[in-house]
Amino acid sequence: MALLSLHDVRIHDGVGDRDVVKGVSFALEAGQAVGIVGESGSGKTLTCRAVLGILPPHFTVSGGAISVDGRDVAGLTGRQWTALRGATVSAVFQDPASYLNPSLKVGGQIAEVVRVKKGLSRRDARRRAVELLDALRLRDPAQVYQQYPHELSGGMLQRVLIATAIAADPQVLIADEATTALDVTVQAEILDLLAELRESTGLALVVVSHDLAVVAQLCDEVLVLRDGETVEQGPVERILYEPRHAYTRLLIAEHEQYGLDRVRELAHVA
Amino acid sequence: MSPEPVLAVTDLDVHYRRRQGRLHALRGVSLSVAPGETVGVIGETGSGKSTLARAVVGLVRPSAGRITVAGAEVTAFRARQWRALRRRGIVQYVFQDPLRSLDPDLTVEESLAEPLLIQGRPRREAVERVRAYLARVRLDEELLSRLPGELSGGQRQRVTIARALVTEPRVVILDEPVSALDAANRVKALELLTSLRDAGTALVFISHDLGSVAGVADRIAVLYRGEIVEDGPARAVVNTPRHAYTRLLVGSAPTLRSARADRASRRRLRALLRTEEGIRHDV
Amino acid sequence: MLRRIARLTTGRIALGILATVGLLAVFGPVLAPYDPLESGADILASPSWAHLLGTDYLGRDVLSRLLDGSRVSILGAVQVALIALVVGVVPGILSVYLGRPFEWLTLRLADTLVALPFLVFAVAVTALLGNGIPQAMFVVGIMVSPLFYRVARAATLSVARSQYVEAAIIAGASVGWVIRRHVWVKVLPPIAVALANTTGVGFVVVSSLTFLGIGVQPPAPTWGGVLAADLGYLSFQPWAPLVPTALIMATVWACNLLADAIRDVTGEAGRALLNTRTVRAGLSGAGREA
Repeated sequence: MALLSLHDVRIHDGVGDRDVVKGVSFALEAGQAVGIVGESGSGKTLTCRAVLGILPPHFTVSGGAISVDGRDVAGLTGRQWTALRGATVSAVFQDPASYLNPSLKVGGQIAEVVRVKKGLSRRDARRRAVELLDALRLRDPAQVYQQYPHELSGGMLQRVLIATAIAADPQVLIADEATTALDVTVQAEILDLLAELRESTGLALVVVSHDLAVVAQLCDEVLVLRDGETVEQGPVERILYEPRHAYTRLLIAEHEQYGLDRVRELAHVA
Repeated sequence: MSPEPVLAVTDLDVHYRRRQGRLHALRGVSLSVAPGETVGVIGETGSGKSTLARAVVGLVRPSAGRITVAGAEVTAFRARQWRALRRRGIVQYVFQDPLRSLDPDLTVEESLAEPLLIQGRPRREAVERVRAYLARVRLDEELLSRLPGELSGGQRQRVTIARALVTEPRVVILDEPVSALDAANRVKALELLTSLRDAGTALVFISHDLGSVAGVADRIAVLYRGEIVEDGPARAVVNTPRHAYTRLLVGSAPTLRSARADRASRRRLRALLRTEEGIRHDV
Repeated sequence: MLRRIARLTTGRIALGILATVGLLAVFGPVLAPYDPLESGADILASPSWAHLLGTDYLGRDVLSRLLDGSRVSILGAVQVALIALVVGVVPGILSVYLGRPFEWLTLRLADTLVALPFLVFAVAVTALLGNGIPQAMFVVGIMVSPLFYRVARAATLSVARSQYVEAAIIAGASVGWVIRRHVWVKVLPPIAVALANTTGVGFVVVSSLTFLGIGVQPPAPTWGGVLAADLGYLSFQPWAPLVPTALIMATVWACNLLADAIRDVTGEAGRALLNTRTVRAGLSGAGREA
């Protein structure tokens, strides 16, 4: 049974009175990774938010079904959503600094999640938080625990946020443009970390990005979203080597004409 | 004989004064850009790439070293001399975020005409030129009376590119010019920029992502902690990188093919860089 | 700019009211049916055909007093605005560009003015320059100028560090060009809002100074003065303060509308800088002391 499945999900914008997501479907098993590629405004973030039950005001799921761990989320109450978020489905977003309280030490913010979600004592929560920071390859996790968000770099903050997101051992982690604002070397490091988490703990991933290459690096299946519509969906190899939709071809051409792929491939030929 | 470089930096040092001691932003940086050449300057946050870009347009004062622009030694220029040089429009600059680099209260026409009016050209001539360049960046004339807020992201970036071109510069410095754009507009902007290169304008692409520059640059220089650790033809830098950091950069750039296999080598390179420098490289 | 403002409904209303007020300032004294200083037999009379707005406690025609006082009142408000612009806004903008010493000096001067007790300053100025409306308005203008200095400086600072100014500098623009072309438009909206508020408070402050015998000499009419007099006879004519109040309110409201309109046509840039609350707090502080 799928951990997370979306069936023809539609999201309606009550103010503009139009559908902004027009049918997204995928199913995710433990240890799998699915990628969603699209520009800002393509509906990829709204889809993620619907899965987390945190759609902005005036937006509603107007069709289709989302089920998490075999359970339809349509009728969930606020309390049930809270129980689900963090413990079963969790997420990290683009701007890590805005998801942390600037006046609290980062360690305490991770420990809080552990205490609330796992019911651990203060001391155990602290130990668990340091363990998590260590698992995310932050050097000297005990010291990072004591630091404030402004003392950490963007890459470190994103790792702290991932630690917070996986603190309650969720089965699905949504990474919505989680590496977009970071330097490429840091981005690669975070992506590697996610890949390792997936291998070691069976964490299922939903990777959302505007960059097809980022998604291709991590995922088995890819959805290409444009203006709320799924223009292409399939195994990553098929999308990369036999793209059917013009938009997917554009995304690939960009890399081949102007990206590293161009110089590299030519070098191999020569 | 190679032609005289349009932009040359020799042994450039820049440090900022901090409360505790000095912060070296650039150390012994040398770089030259030949006419019509496209150079990529790659570096991560804090590598000094912005400092370098700002130093060559006189926004940052070097602590040591020499900068020459079109043959003129500008290192010791005073404010008035810089103004005179800038007015000639030899060096232009395109910022990363087109929305922030256009005055929200000026129409497209006013923004585009500004460098020409600063040069002291009559308004009529400025407007005529603006129209000519608008066509070159493939923007419609009806956009002239719009405000930046009324344009799409791609249109805005084309406006800033047009603004950098109206003075017919010999070198344009591009600070992450496409990273704020979506795929379709990125491709269009890159097409436009490569067409400029063909027209003989030298371009300096500044980016944190080797991948985004590799395909357009003739030469790539890698800045790492204020020093240039690698400088060579793009293909050589990408395929046979010498410095560990460059290897990490190449291995980290998102590519469509064969990215997964590099995980182990990336880990090794990171460890190597950390021990080598002995300084915090916790990202 | 004016044309863009006139395209907005709010802008048209504001310009309409201000034009009317302007006409009052020019022709008011001529239109007055009676001598505003002449006492009649009827004291505290209700409105009638002879006295459209009734008479005051000395039997003077209220309509004539309001019409006659409009020029002085409006000129006073304009004077406050001009002083605030020259003493506050100009140094505020230049403090960002003329180097450290000038910046330091103007900042300290602004602090000093804020710390200066309003009343003592007012008395000192009257002692030095004589008693009259220009002197009183001079005092008010000086007292509010630190506020304008701060608002202008804050707006300039945020523009001075923007990328489009940097782009202009890279194109070879001089400081003068940057101020004319980029800074001025961004500074204008918050200043306009501050001015609108100052104008309103100005009327009230003038009337409160009248109590102390500073500025307006009692028989000479002003809007604030008429209002102050009416307030003393509330139990006889509870409706009387409404008319001068309405005049002051309409003028202030029009100023505010105009400020809004300026802000709207100059885009988001000005919107973020508006902080009318500090403006009001600063001014009501000055008013209370009086």
